[in-house]
Amino acid sequence: MRWIRRLSAETGETAEVVGGKAHGLVALHRLGLPVPAGFVVTAEACREYLRDGCLPDGLEDELRRAMSDLETATGRDFGGVRRPLAVSVRSGASVSMPGMMDTILNLGLTAESTAALAAETGDERFALSSRERFLAGFAAAIGDGRPIPDDAARQLALAVRTVFSSWDAPRAQTYRELHGIPHHLGTAVIVQAMVFGNRDDRSGTGVAFSRDPNTGANVPFGEVLFGRQGEEVVSGGSRTRPLRELADREPAVWAALLDALSRIEGHYRDACYVEFTFEAGVLWLLQARPGRFDGAAAVRLATDLVDERVIGRGEALLRVSPQHLRHVRTPRIVAGEADVLARGLGACPGVATGRVATTSDSAVRMAADGPVVLVRPETSPHDLRGLAAAAGIVTARGGPASHAAVVARAMGKPAVVGVADLVVDAGSVSAGGRTIGAGTLVTIDGTGGEVVLGDPGTVTPAADAHLRRLLGWADDVSGDHNGRTESERLGAAHAVLRGASGRRE
Amino acid sequence: MTHLATDLLVLHTLRCIGFAGTARIAATAGLSEADAESELIDLAVTGLVTHQAGEFGGWGLTASGRAADAERITGELEAAAARPALTAAFDGFLVLNPELLDLCTAWQLRSVDGVVVANDHSDQSYDDRVLDRFTDFHRRAVVVLDEISAALPRFGRYRFRLADALQRATCGASEYLTDDIASYHAVWAELHEDLLATLGIPR
Repeated sequence: MRWIRRLSAETGETAEVVGGKAHGLVALHRLGLPVPAGFVVTAEACREYLRDGCLPDGLEDELRRAMSDLETATGRDFGGVRRPLAVSVRSGASVSMPGMMDTILNLGLTAESTAALAAETGDERFALSSRERFLAGFAAAIGDGRPIPDDAARQLALAVRTVFSSWDAPRAQTYRELHGIPHHLGTAVIVQAMVFGNRDDRSGTGVAFSRDPNTGANVPFGEVLFGRQGEEVVSGGSRTRPLRELADREPAVWAALLDALSRIEGHYRDACYVEFTFEAGVLWLLQARPGRFDGAAAVRLATDLVDERVIGRGEALLRVSPQHLRHVRTPRIVAGEADVLARGLGACPGVATGRVATTSDSAVRMAADGPVVLVRPETSPHDLRGLAAAAGIVTARGGPASHAAVVARAMGKPAVVGVADLVVDAGSVSAGGRTIGAGTLVTIDGTGGEVVLGDPGTVTPAADAHLRRLLGWADDVSGDHNGRTESERLGAAHAVLRGASGRRE
Repeated sequence: MTHLATDLLVLHTLRCIGFAGTARIAATAGLSEADAESELIDLAVTGLVTHQAGEFGGWGLTASGRAADAERITGELEAAAARPALTAAFDGFLVLNPELLDLCTAWQLRSVDGVVVANDHSDQSYDDRVLDRFTDFHRRAVVVLDEISAALPRFGRYRFRLADALQRATCGASEYLTDDIASYHAVWAELHEDLLATLGIPR
């Protein structure tokens, strides 16, 4: 086939051809890990589509053949009335553009197939909610109110065109301009048999790092959402639980996940990140990539990998960017003893301690008597004076580009956003099953995204033992033991190491 | 904001920008400070707004002020039979909104060696690139802004204020992208709030 490659251990294509996501899936196949059967439509097909405005000659035929192979592999029937096959259709460019392009889940659930799925599982509610999710998600991705065909093959062709087109969405174009990504690359499209995280109460979905990305400690870290489907964890819209809860609720899934994380680490010789779904107690991996830690976590990871004899000192030095060290003098919460109430995304670095205020009015009132942390579901222009009065900001919703995040950075105030399980009431705040009243003292860390009770004190990563060790190696490499900033010491070592291996910066 | 009675204009400005001082209310509404203050005092007498002293003090809506604004601004929308057109234009706004937030974030943060760090504005070519994208964004935003003000002419002031913020930023006052109280981001957020308030959509 010209435009399509089956995803398997034998797929011998580069990330340029099949995209980064598919490349990672091939690696998982080679490691013998559970990956839903599927295939990838190459980025070249996308380039043809974007140039000509229609799918390239032969692609629709190839899609039919690839689907027929997928039916054979899964023993299911796409658009069928017995054992129906549903698929996910996801973008996967050769460069990472998180959240910029479309994903369509549960495709192939026509009216008839949905009835068949209900009959097969004996769970009509599950089948109907899966179809609803498909229709709503697909309609949002298409965007122009066109009707969704009730024919599985036509749905698939439309979904491939929709994902191709999303490469050229204005927001995606802007993202590429800002990040220096060429516009001509296009995206591959990955089609895989659906695994249903919403199947029953022994199903769910999650994301996991093999090590804690906040500290670098060698402890798996992540979030899990029971009884739900993939996109809801990544988008942070639903109530996620700490990854560790898997161990109690689904020990077999947990054990399989630990085994997978360890094998993927071995493959990348680095910490790793995976997205996974489990259906009826069986684990499936949907994506894997290296962990991409930063700051103190990157330093801890690099030195630990040296101790574990995974990499040498030179490589450890090169894995930490001098940029990572520019903020090592930014205070962080003392991690050990802190009573963590909730975790979100750090949106503006720094630590703030103050009493919880749940409205801008009360923040202004309370700020007269000492520092305040403003905790809101999200912020709007109405919160500007509360933001101005507060020492730090926490929001339940929104990501690093939310109103609260942009304003907090403009004001230089520590901020934590996207605390998924945070509920803000008039006089109290709840998270992780605990409720605290307005006026309670909390401390927030705008680097790691922690919200902790009381005042645990702060520490600067510059004093961290792992960093001192790494910088000691750096000075040995550069031969320069004079006092300089952390970033300069590492940069000098990089210059020597890059020079020695003939590489250029 | 043309075509609104001055008292409603001031009331609705407060509804969209939240608590603020007289100068900012006047600048947002396009009134002189004296006119704005006179209206604010009248509104305070009728119990629709309230004034607080202190460091973060200023004018704010009371609960009845908020209710009165909702009723009158809905009346304006229905009288102009503008709900369908404004709703359609709001859909266009929602497509642009995440991109604008991406741009603001790109101005404040950048990815270096795969690490997101604060943009220290030492790389002129990066900043120029972001500013170029703001300009390109604004060209496309104007199409939607025109649809919005075609539905309700008072929204025309947002186009003027956004263009003004971008113009200042282009001329070197880069705080008018994300940092100033009259920045592109701040005006955009007020427009968002106004659209929600006018259409009666809860946040």
